[in-house]
Amino acid sequence: MTLHQLFEWLEATPLGVMVRESAWGFPILVAFHIMGIMLSVGTLVWFDLRLLGVSMTGVRASLMYRRLMPWMFTGFAVMFITGFMLLAGFATNAYGNVYFRIKIIAMVLAAVNALFYHRLTERRIVHWDDSPGPPTAARMAGLVSISVWMTVIVAGRMMSYTMF
Amino acid sequence: MAAFFVWLEGTRMAIAVRDSLMLTGALSAVHLVGFTLTTGGALVANLNLLGLLFPDRPPLEVTRPASRGIALGLTISALTGVLLFAPRATVASVNGIFQMKMLLLVAAVLFHSLVHQRVARTATSSSMRRGTGAVGLVLWVGLALAGCAYILLE
Repeated sequence: MTLHQLFEWLEATPLGVMVRESAWGFPILVAFHIMGIMLSVGTLVWFDLRLLGVSMTGVRASLMYRRLMPWMFTGFAVMFITGFMLLAGFATNAYGNVYFRIKIIAMVLAAVNALFYHRLTERRIVHWDDSPGPPTAARMAGLVSISVWMTVIVAGRMMSYTMF
Repeated sequence: MAAFFVWLEGTRMAIAVRDSLMLTGALSAVHLVGFTLTTGGALVANLNLLGLLFPDRPPLEVTRPASRGIALGLTISALTGVLLFAPRATVASVNGIFQMKMLLLVAAVLFHSLVHQRVARTATSSSMRRGTGAVGLVLWVGLALAGCAYILLE
């Protein structure tokens, strides 16, 4: 099964049909998707700025992550669930859309960046946890995270103007 | 005021935005980046006053950077918002959801500048802090919901 066939199948599922044909399903899902951005990227930015040594440098980086994590992950859960449902409704339209592809690439980069940070950079956090100026690797993780998530937001919004 | 909106709609800026779907999309996308910075900052600042985020830190240590984030986000959203409003000024200005969005925007900004920052600065009771955090959160989340509603139900 090719990716395009998978998207065709997804669009034909009861979930896809419901999202596409229900009068209120689409606006409600988009509203939750946007509110999810506020909780997820809106709070993640503060951890990224701490890694960059730009904001709240008096708070330990590990504490910053621990405290923001529940809000961040709740937001990401809302965003991914509603995002998947929206994709199901308009999968074939999204398939050929350049902004959808940019968004997916940016999300993969965000995941790789987070994995790299948690598996490698964070291992030596005891050496810089209290420091207002984290090492270059940590700063890079913060910068990449902000850049890719802003790309996800911009590309996601552009999809609304180019898909239909 | 109606005459001003008619004039605004006829400006070259408004016509340029109206004539280009890609420009409208790009402005809307940057507007959403501003929204993320604004609401993220507001969330952090108000959850802190509510005692739900960084309860062990002095409120001012959280409110001060969060306010800078809110200010940056609002600047981005206001600039792009004016450009998005211009081509549809006469219709948007009489739209109930848009009016609600603007009302909540003014209320949230005034409340944050006049009440929230003062409460965070002065050592007040925890009930005062929690009450301020709750009102602030309702205003900012209300603004975000009104923004969503305007996009979708316009």
